[in-house]
Amino acid sequence: MVEPAEDTGVHVRIRGKELSLAISEEHALRLKALAQQIIREPFTKRPWAELAFFLVSGGLAVVGLGFVGVTMVAGVVLAITFFGLALLALSIRSARGIGGWQRGLARAMLDETVEDPEPFVGRHGFLGWLQASLRDRVGWRAVAYLAIKVPWTILGVFVAVSLWWDAFACLTGPVFSRGGGGLAVWGLVRGVFPDSPFWLQEGGFFHGIGLFILGALFLFAAPWVTRGFVTVDRLLIRSLLGPDPTAARVRTLEEARTHTVDASAATLRRIERDLHDGTQAQLVALAMRLGMAKEKLEDADTVDLDRVRELVDEAHRGAKEAIAELRDIARGIHPPALDIGLEGALTTLAARSAVPTEVSFDLRSRPTPAIEAIAYFCVAELLANVAQHAQASRASVSCAQQGTWLRLVVRDDGLGGAALSRVGSSSSGLSGLTDRVHAVDGRLHLVSPHGGPTVVTVDLPLTA
Amino acid sequence: MVGALRVAIAEDSAILRDGLVQLLVDRGFVITGAVGEPDALRSSVAQHPPDVAVIDIRMPPTFTDEGLRLALELRARYEGLGILLFSQYIETRYAADLLADDAAGIGYLLKDRVADVSDFVEALERVAIGGTALDPEVVTQLIGATRRTGSLSVLTPREREVLALMAEGRSNAAIASAMVVSEGAVEKHVANIFTKLDLPVSENDHRRVLAVLRFLES
Repeated sequence: MVEPAEDTGVHVRIRGKELSLAISEEHALRLKALAQQIIREPFTKRPWAELAFFLVSGGLAVVGLGFVGVTMVAGVVLAITFFGLALLALSIRSARGIGGWQRGLARAMLDETVEDPEPFVGRHGFLGWLQASLRDRVGWRAVAYLAIKVPWTILGVFVAVSLWWDAFACLTGPVFSRGGGGLAVWGLVRGVFPDSPFWLQEGGFFHGIGLFILGALFLFAAPWVTRGFVTVDRLLIRSLLGPDPTAARVRTLEEARTHTVDASAATLRRIERDLHDGTQAQLVALAMRLGMAKEKLEDADTVDLDRVRELVDEAHRGAKEAIAELRDIARGIHPPALDIGLEGALTTLAARSAVPTEVSFDLRSRPTPAIEAIAYFCVAELLANVAQHAQASRASVSCAQQGTWLRLVVRDDGLGGAALSRVGSSSSGLSGLTDRVHAVDGRLHLVSPHGGPTVVTVDLPLTA
Repeated sequence: MVGALRVAIAEDSAILRDGLVQLLVDRGFVITGAVGEPDALRSSVAQHPPDVAVIDIRMPPTFTDEGLRLALELRARYEGLGILLFSQYIETRYAADLLADDAAGIGYLLKDRVADVSDFVEALERVAIGGTALDPEVVTQLIGATRRTGSLSVLTPREREVLALMAEGRSNAAIASAMVVSEGAVEKHVANIFTKLDLPVSENDHRRVLAVLRFLES
């Protein structure tokens, strides 16, 4: 709480009555800053850059829409002929190009960086090009942009640009003994004062002063009005000239799917390898020893019992090892601990970890099995990484619900310096995790400065 | 058999390798080398030439078909060296590669077969002295994949059984004991098969194998 500070407040005296406006110090500072900004604004670079952008890109848009419009109308009129379709395609393709220029202008003049949309992919031959052009979503969106941008520019010229013009005209009016003839004066001032106010009547001292004050007001208002228009334009550029959100999402999902398919193929391969090199070899060796023992027992007269006992012993040991290996492999496919729920599974994981690990768990609703499995494998992989690479003395796992999201945070106090690169074997586990997480529209975030600590945050939707 | 047979082993699983060494030594073989990867076997064979090399198909570095390529290479370089490919699964194409021009001194067995020690040792000896030992699984796959089902249908069930055992590389005596019939009966079956399928008659066991395999493959 900020106490109203009486002595720093602003006291206003109106018609003899003292009206004490108690303004808190904080508000006073804020007002002061705002006033300073308003006064400085016309003399900074930004409003001029915005005005310049508005004029240049507006001019380009008018010319562009003119071309696109003419070719499009002609194309539609002639659409029954082949030539008409080609014109229409040309119209859409040029809209795409003009959209690109607009994006470039915004980048150069406004620092408004909008990602390039997906490139045009023409299919084979002229017919393929024609079809792809007519269906080019980016092109059509650029047409829509131009169609909105042009009227918006015209309105902007009438409102914002005339404010600048009248500010200039009014401020220089007293010198050149004219002014106030622009739209802003006629629209705004004459609208508010239908009878021409005394200070706008030609000639005299008051006319000069009045014009000057009006000009100053316009000068300070103009940057903000311009900014308003440009801001709307920025929004248009972002939503209509950037990458198509649907296409971008499709692409992300396609990538994620490819990675998931690759990841599951790799997982199957790993399981096969584990079975082949581990369990299967164990069982073959086991069968071989039992076979040898059996043969030795067949010849009852010369049984070397010690040798047989040795073989059976080895077979017995091999059988137990095979069982343990099989259990590990099965756990890698589906962790049985998950059957009792994620909390129990994570606790088991933490308890098994070589680095002392603390678990905090706070979920109000149970995630779907797929999410539970991903969360489990994330924690398993991350804890394994901690044990292998981090040289940490402590680690912690937190699993909490944030709205419809599950947030996992795995933290360790080790060396840090972990990276998500796709090359090298030590990090392939981490990028494998990223793929798994992206496949369900989740996010994985890694912070691991050299010297530690490493914090990995994984956000997963509760249902997938 | 002149003296003990000399065996080199290339098998990347240490458990299996040790087990094999134990088993073969127990049965009186001489082990000239027991190694875990292809290069080691190359130098071992060069230094101490064996009669037969037991080679695992999946070995480092890529764990795909290193063993098969090594087998083909060794066969080209050392005449008369028996090769027993040893694998946890049967790939018919591998068998075809291996038997491309000759079936003499070639074996291709599932690793499971070591459980029946006598059969395994017998197969190994056969390969070492220039015979053939194909896993029943290989033969089953070849018969399953053949387009000559029409020709095979002229055989009696008994004859088909003999054909399969013949394709494994067994001698008439071995077929007779496996089927619990007299050797004479087997000879009669074999003669019938060769007549019915119009195959060139051959005294030599491994030529006989090759004839049968060519028939199944064509």
